[in-house]
Amino acid sequence: MLALTRKKGEALVLNNNIEVTVLEVKGDQVKIGIQAPKDVSIYRKEIYLQIQKENEEAMNNAGIEELKNLF
Amino acid sequence: MLVESKVFGEIEVDDAKIVTFEDGIIGFPDLKNFAIIYDEDKKDSKISWLQSMDEGDFALPVMNPTVIEANYDPYVEDELLKPLGELNAGNLCVLVVVKVPSDIKKMSINLKAPIVINVDNRKGIQVIVEDDYPVRKEIYGMLKEAKEKAQEGK
Repeated sequence: MLALTRKKGEALVLNNNIEVTVLEVKGDQVKIGIQAPKDVSIYRKEIYLQIQKENEEAMNNAGIEELKNLF
Repeated sequence: MLVESKVFGEIEVDDAKIVTFEDGIIGFPDLKNFAIIYDEDKKDSKISWLQSMDEGDFALPVMNPTVIEANYDPYVEDELLKPLGELNAGNLCVLVVVKVPSDIKKMSINLKAPIVINVDNRKGIQVIVEDDYPVRKEIYGMLKEAKEKAQEGK
């Protein structure tokens, strides 16, 4: 992983078309601004992981046989 | 395309019916080709399957969210759906993933991450919506009620 130190108001440019700016630093919280083309999907990682886990669990279909008999 | 499905055994799907997810499904970026399978024996079933043609073990139960949430209308940035081509009321298909745990009473749908498909060009994408929809909405009670109602009507 590339680690860079930035101060409030400073930014990074990724791939010519994405800009990540440190907007605010308050204690252990950092507010980040991202300017990117709209077709770039940006997700909070914990939500992304939660969806990934849901997909995985849905694939297991533990109760599917029972379900077939019901609905 | 031929696949050995965990749920259906060996199945062959006409290439012209395969739905392509260019970015895969969330968490499974390599799974790009899917077939939507309806269980012939269960014509009344609300549940169909998104069967991966790349990986037979991967089959996701899916359903039309409006069965449960009539007014389901999440906001998705147009640009995110651009890869699907032009969408209209006629070619837009929205599905949500159904989770069926061993305690079937806890079965749920994921309204936070719908699957959007353009049925004309058969391109699909799974997106995470910003709206405050739940990742797990339990549906057992509602399905049961709907079934009982349907039976009364018969």
